[in-house]
Amino acid sequence: MTQEVLLFSVLRQRLGTPRITIAVQEGISGADLLDQLSEQYPALAPYRSMIRLAVNQEYVSETITLSGSDEIALITPVSGG
Amino acid sequence: MADKSVIAMKKKQWIDLQHEKLDAEAVVRFLQTPRAGGIDIFLGTTRQWTDGRETIHLAYECYPSMALKEMQRLADEACERWPVEKVCLLHRLGVVEVSEASVIIGVATPHRVDAFAACRFLIDTLKRQVPIWKREVFADGSTEWVEGDAMPWTK
Repeated sequence: MTQEVLLFSVLRQRLGTPRITIAVQEGISGADLLDQLSEQYPALAPYRSMIRLAVNQEYVSETITLSGSDEIALITPVSGG
Repeated sequence: MADKSVIAMKKKQWIDLQHEKLDAEAVVRFLQTPRAGGIDIFLGTTRQWTDGRETIHLAYECYPSMALKEMQRLADEACERWPVEKVCLLHRLGVVEVSEASVIIGVATPHRVDAFAACRFLIDTLKRQVPIWKREVFADGSTEWVEGDAMPWTK
């Protein structure tokens, strides 16, 4: 399946786009998705350890199983307020 | 169409993201209720000097749907943990000049001890959880994304 991933802040700036896509297996884990994203988009690799995964606008553990209809976003350390 | 602030007055919670300047007086009016003996309001403002570096302004962006969802979650948690009569969370987006407010948090409770505690909880947790990011623009022309305080994450 083709998964779209939303980017914000420093990731959006580094990759020059608010969204990236990646071809992955249905039922992939969040951790594997992040690993594969870092391989396909090397600019993400330095941020891998500080990225929190959000699925359908909620923080999730990387052990989560993803489905093709999920809205996925990479959340780097936030700085509101 | 009814004025947004009029609609907000009738509810218990006022949560929003906006590009316009934040209106603290409107927040006070919203929070006033006969059931409260204390109103605590916090404003986060753009500071000019940090470690010898001069800030020109801060620029905020966010993941809108999730930011609102997280702000709602925080408000709901505050209402569960303290006897909150009214709660307001407003965050500004875009450029926020020195001394201007980027965020207003306000709560109204029967007794002040709970107002202080709930307000503190809301701003401290917003700064760790809500997907909003600021970019700092300095007088020397440099800019950087402020990393802030993220919650420790257990995988």
